[in-house]
Amino acid sequence: MRVMEAEAVNEEKGVVVRGEWQRRIMTFLMVFGPGLIVMEADNDAGAVSTYMQAGGQYGLHLLWLLVVLLPICYFIQEMVARLGIATGKGHAAMIYERFGKWWGRFSLIDLLAVNFLTLITEFAAISLALSALGISPYVSVPGSAVGLTMMVVTGSYLRWERIVIALCLMDLTWFVLAFVVHPQWAMVARNAIRPTVPAGGITSSLVFLVIAIVGTTIAPWQLFFQQSCVAEKRLRFADLKWARLDTLIGAVFTVCVAGAMMLVGNYGFEHKIAFQDPAQLALALGPIAGTFVRNGVLLLMVNAAVLGTTAISLASAWAYGEVQGWEHSLHKKLWEAPGFYATYIACVGAAAAIVLIPHVPLQLVIISVQVFAGLILPSAIIFLQLLLNDRELLGERWVNRPWNNIVNWTIIVVLFALSLLLAAQVILPNLFPK
Amino acid sequence: MTTTEYRVVHPLDDVQEEKCSTDGLGKIRMTRAVRISLGVLRAYLIAMTLMLGYHVLDLSGLLHRAH
Repeated sequence: MRVMEAEAVNEEKGVVVRGEWQRRIMTFLMVFGPGLIVMEADNDAGAVSTYMQAGGQYGLHLLWLLVVLLPICYFIQEMVARLGIATGKGHAAMIYERFGKWWGRFSLIDLLAVNFLTLITEFAAISLALSALGISPYVSVPGSAVGLTMMVVTGSYLRWERIVIALCLMDLTWFVLAFVVHPQWAMVARNAIRPTVPAGGITSSLVFLVIAIVGTTIAPWQLFFQQSCVAEKRLRFADLKWARLDTLIGAVFTVCVAGAMMLVGNYGFEHKIAFQDPAQLALALGPIAGTFVRNGVLLLMVNAAVLGTTAISLASAWAYGEVQGWEHSLHKKLWEAPGFYATYIACVGAAAAIVLIPHVPLQLVIISVQVFAGLILPSAIIFLQLLLNDRELLGERWVNRPWNNIVNWTIIVVLFALSLLLAAQVILPNLFPK
Repeated sequence: MTTTEYRVVHPLDDVQEEKCSTDGLGKIRMTRAVRISLGVLRAYLIAMTLMLGYHVLDLSGLLHRAH
């Protein structure tokens, strides 16, 4: 962090603080943002559905998985933040420049495809949740699309960041909902630290859900998003320790919120409520748990979808803009970076329009998301790992330490194995008992 | 007792640093680790594409018709 004695810098810029601790807190607050946003936006509509489904189907049995995923999320995103700070460039641009056009195009096209399909699921969730609250999809979906566009076209990164951090903090309400449904806290603690197999053993749906939880907690767009976001915020070399803290806080917060979602799903499990999506569960919970829980789940579902949509669309717009060599910054006005904003608006607008088409095959979209995500995640992480070992580019200061590499190669092998297992299960549905 | 005053500058207001640049570097050096990683990735992508193709044929009923 560039901190200097008051008299030595431009008087018009910065904030004067007294003492070391104030300096540290102020510095952290200035750097804070990308880590929390990338993590919490990952608790998008698909994640709400997956975590609540996990609670609804298996009670508290899969809570331990979230605890395991916490350090994994942190390790991956820490590398992304480090690479962003060291190079000041986005992930897509780095793949293009260091691995050539073929790998660059492959990564970009796969990213854009999976992001776009995910956006459709986000708008489907908005439509579903607000329909349950009596608002027509023909009002809620275009309204959300317009709101999401207005959020980014103000020409100020900081304004966008503050709005999104406020949306992230709204997810604190999940903790209130988790307390309201009165889980057995001793059981929660036990299941969080001790893996247990649910009654019925290892079945096909359990394996699928485990892979879905891993896939939803570590998503490909996150790598592209955080690196571009760090570059956009122009974080400096000395900001790395604060960016790490930001990422760690984001990871802990996100995993705790995901746990709270599972607890709400578990309430449905305890009351033997069968449901296909969180909106159905919310409606069924209304008469038992009260209107607060019912409306809370529905509105938080919308919040999750809005967070996911803005982050995923920006990940696409930043990546595409970087590769095309366009201006690609939220600091620019609409007319100063037309290609960048057009990509964002096209992603949001087209996904919203598709959801409004009657009888759109959403199930096919969800399966396609899983297939594309399965393809891109291990490959994107491999590029990340190779870039973080690129001494020619980064020098000794920024490359991975040997222990980083051991941890990351282990994560990569596990992700590859899970990805292949998912593919095998899709092809051989009888691989595990039903 | 005197307290030191500090001016903390927001990253967006600060002087831009010179970052690690790819200028003049070209493509990444093909070390053994890079070659193996990209080879495994290619094999993985081919395997996934084949599995996906099989699944699509299976869903379309073409495989069952052949039996």
